Amino acid sequence: MPGVNFNLLWPQLLVTALAFAVFGADLLMRRPQRALLVWISAAGLVGIFVFTLVYLWGRNTTLYDGIFHIDNFSLFFSAFFLVIAVVVVLSSAQYVRQYLTHPGEYYGILLFSIVGMMLMAAAGELLTAYVALELLSFSLYILASYARNEPKSNEAGIKYVLLGAFSSALLLYGISLIYGAVGATRFQDIALALRGMEGVNSLLVVGIALVLAGLGFKVAAVPFHMWAPDVYEGAPMPVTAYIAVGSKVAAFALLLRLFAEGFAPAIDQWRLLVAALAALTMTTGNLVALTQTNIKRLLAYSSIAHVGYLLMGLAALSPLASTGLMLYLVGYAVTNMLVFVCAIAFYNREGKDEISALSGLAGRSPFLAGAMAAALFSLAGLPFFAGFTVKFYLFSATAKAGLLWLAGIAITNSLISLYYYLMVIKQMYINPASQPTPLRLPWPMVALLSVLVLGVLFVGIYPRPVVDAIQAATQAIFPGGMLSTP
Amino acid sequence: MELAWLIPAMSAIAFPAILLPGRLLPRGGAFLAPLAILGGFIVFWIVLADFLATGNAGFGITWLEAGAVRLSWGIFIDPLAVIMLGVVTFVAMLIQVYSWAYMANEPRFSWYFAVHSLFAAAMLTLVLADNLLFLYIAWELVGLCSYLLIGFYFERRSAAEAAKKAFVTTRIGDVGMLIGILLLFRATGTFDISTLIHLAQTGGIAGGALTAGMLLIFAGAAGKSAQFPFHVWLPDAMEGPTPVSALIHAATMVVAGVYLVARLFPAFEAAPAVMAVVAAIGLVTMLLGATLALVMTDLKRVLAYSTISHLGFMMLALGSFGLGAAIFHMFVHAFSKAMLFLSAGSVSHGTNELDIRKLGGLRRRMPATALCFTVGALALAGLPPLSGFFSKDELLAAVLQGRGGVFLAFTLLGAFLSALYMSRVTLLTFFGPLKREQEHAHESPLLMIGPMLILAVLAVVVGFLALPLVSGYGGFGHVLEPGGEPFHFKVWLVTLSSILAAAGLTLGWLIYSRGALSADAVRARFPAVQRVLESKYYVDVIYQWAIDHVVLVAGRFVALFDRVVVNDTGVNGAGASVVASGMRLRIHVTGLLANYALGIAVGAVAVAVVMWLMTTA
Repeated sequence: MPGVNFNLLWPQLLVTALAFAVFGADLLMRRPQRALLVWISAAGLVGIFVFTLVYLWGRNTTLYDGIFHIDNFSLFFSAFFLVIAVVVVLSSAQYVRQYLTHPGEYYGILLFSIVGMMLMAAAGELLTAYVALELLSFSLYILASYARNEPKSNEAGIKYVLLGAFSSALLLYGISLIYGAVGATRFQDIALALRGMEGVNSLLVVGIALVLAGLGFKVAAVPFHMWAPDVYEGAPMPVTAYIAVGSKVAAFALLLRLFAEGFAPAIDQWRLLVAALAALTMTTGNLVALTQTNIKRLLAYSSIAHVGYLLMGLAALSPLASTGLMLYLVGYAVTNMLVFVCAIAFYNREGKDEISALSGLAGRSPFLAGAMAAALFSLAGLPFFAGFTVKFYLFSATAKAGLLWLAGIAITNSLISLYYYLMVIKQMYINPASQPTPLRLPWPMVALLSVLVLGVLFVGIYPRPVVDAIQAATQAIFPGGMLSTP
Repeated sequence: MELAWLIPAMSAIAFPAILLPGRLLPRGGAFLAPLAILGGFIVFWIVLADFLATGNAGFGITWLEAGAVRLSWGIFIDPLAVIMLGVVTFVAMLIQVYSWAYMANEPRFSWYFAVHSLFAAAMLTLVLADNLLFLYIAWELVGLCSYLLIGFYFERRSAAEAAKKAFVTTRIGDVGMLIGILLLFRATGTFDISTLIHLAQTGGIAGGALTAGMLLIFAGAAGKSAQFPFHVWLPDAMEGPTPVSALIHAATMVVAGVYLVARLFPAFEAAPAVMAVVAAIGLVTMLLGATLALVMTDLKRVLAYSTISHLGFMMLALGSFGLGAAIFHMFVHAFSKAMLFLSAGSVSHGTNELDIRKLGGLRRRMPATALCFTVGALALAGLPPLSGFFSKDELLAAVLQGRGGVFLAFTLLGAFLSALYMSRVTLLTFFGPLKREQEHAHESPLLMIGPMLILAVLAVVVGFLALPLVSGYGGFGHVLEPGGEPFHFKVWLVTLSSILAAAGLTLGWLIYSRGALSADAVRARFPAVQRVLESKYYVDVIYQWAIDHVVLVAGRFVALFDRVVVNDTGVNGAGASVVASGMRLRIHVTGLLANYALGIAVGAVAVAVVMWLMTTA
């Protein structure tokens, strides 16, 4: 193809190469040496992160006739995914050594999923997006069932793959209906067709609905969420963290670009529905979270609730809301990383993931309890933590878009969520420990947790640099702020 | 000058650093606190040099933005802020050095230094903040630190009670302050101090809102600066370790109220009614504190009432439009009063006794402490040419100019009382024969005496800063108000005030040293006055009565309502129904794959149908 600059795919190619290198090294290395794989993966990812920023900074172009977009939006998310990957890889190290065999395959598959995520954020066409999504999903199916000797992990994998296939079918059917209705799969062509369309096209409406259902499954929006708690509980802990953070951020990157570049002209036809889904999702997630006793299931429902807040940003679709949504993704990611890494650190030591096992943690490890409390405060949205700032931006953008009632529901929901987050804090700080032995953490965990705590505080206190980067990303999908919201 | 943010930041980092990894370091990492504040003091000089070269500056970063409303973490540096930065970092540094020896045997040694650091960070932030919201956050944080440090010996019931009293009393003012800040925000849409001042000066704020807002903000200032009727917490706050009293309850935190009024001075000036209130409250507080300091028998409590009285002087000066005089008095008072408290700490360190009736003649055992205390007392009494003389003089001139003869007469009375109670407490503690039970008294270690001596030297000399010493420096007041009049003595006023100071000191000497006049005889002559004073004007009694008969009675009704209506029906009812619905909802997650798939299918169909209905309708 003339005029195609394949070099622009270097980041994705490099991550793929890194994955193969990790596979190969795993074969060639002796067992004790394999502990090095985590450092190879992490160092490689950091290198690719730097390369991506330097190489793709400020580019604004498309590949393969608009199938891939290389712009600030995809750059922002690529960098975002790479950071998530580094944290997940580092937090996995001890867990993989203790509980899993074949570290090489674990890290390799993780890297493949990163490629899938990066392609999702760059995709400008439905089928490409679908293939990228499946690359991510298949990697996650394997990772979820990676603890092969654990029945729960196997159950999680089976449930995930079967329901995932089901939802993929819905998604594909939706894509085909959309193609049937407008004769295009590129987002921009869809938008063009929608603008020229008179009246309502039932085929298109059902198509959008099915796409929404399919992607709703990936982000675990109610009523497509029921897999989430089981998979979260069964999957190895770092994989749970990865599913909770990485896959959701990627799915929202895709949703955001698809709705902003593709479905925006039909906004009046889907806005209320997305808003209703948002309200339903956050309310269900928070109410069910109240009754959980397992930290992983609690976090599963908590993340469902957060998906509800995020969908709000989609319903309010505007440059302001898109900025709010992306900022929320950042705050959500860094906070959830923190809370999951805390849970992983605890699990590595104690082998328990019940909330009651956390009792008296403040006395046993003040640092771990403090870090966890910071994460929970942030999830609840208290000031000075990331959660407050990102909620502030997202909720005010929602209110500005005329969805004041939805913002009201979201605030009520935040209030409810404070209860179950505080219950965990009460467990750590007020209830006495069953065995009051001090709990020591290995230094890489302490370092990782410290960085994440600082990250949570940074986004909470000084979000400006992140907001600037996000505004640049928003401009890429809203050329000239094309959408004038009512 | 951008470095200024480092000054609070270093102490802010020291707080978690001492509490978390500090436990692995020698002495619990407590040494990080003096190191951080020393760093702050060094940076202060850099900031000062920059400031002298370039003048006022402000910068900040945005926290939240929504439309026109912008919340920021910003700092603003003007002469006032620079002066406060210097005082706070310097005094805090000396007091932390002193504390190193004074607190050496405390089990919670590192906790003490950690909270000290947090306090320094909060206080310095308060000084630098460029908007009222940021300032309010720091304001509450210093209150919290004060609470923690007053209650440092929380095993002692009186200390725990005092901490609670201080917190609750100042909170009452703080609530008013928050309402005031929000009122101003509603009127102007900004928290930024410079913008608010500009709007106030140009009439951009409606008169009623401005008056109400400034009055409420003054309530917060009065609470923090222990002004009548909020003064009751300060004497009780003496339950804390003495270095804490020196730093927080003499030199820094209690002047935060004065500072706040000074920071917003032009806005206060635009509300003359509020200025009159400030002056009146200052005058009442000043006389109240001075008279009570005369009858207290606990060394620290005498100093506490003296602090209340001097804070009243400062407020009075502010209310008389004398910004320079007030701040100069604050500056001078910070050094002398901190030093007096440190000397009191030295006394209790050497004797385990603070009741002045049981002390006496300590100069024979603790010469350095006695020297420091005497110097500080003379300085505060306003004997020329010590520092208090200059500041008192500016203050009197400001009161005369701003409020006239009646206020001046009362202020002179206060100055006279100041000299009297200072001579009383000094003579009773350090002079006369040594009491037998104090034979074993001993001088404090160098680590404690050193900071006291440094402060004593300053208490002697800083007064001269009032004068235009070198060309280009128009005197202290001139730095604060460049357009104001340069400093000059009013000869008759100087003479009068000096005579009064000398008279006060002499009277004290006659009563308490020579015994020419018997204090007991005076007391016997005026039993009513005696009773009123010793009951501290019944303010505490009235408050206690009000709490018992009004607050608690009302509280019981509210509690009943709260328990039955709000809690059982509202909160627990709502909570129970929320949990119950959660329970009911969670049943839908059955664990069966087929149910999940059905859920997805039904959901997808529902979404499609709803969307189709919505679009065709």
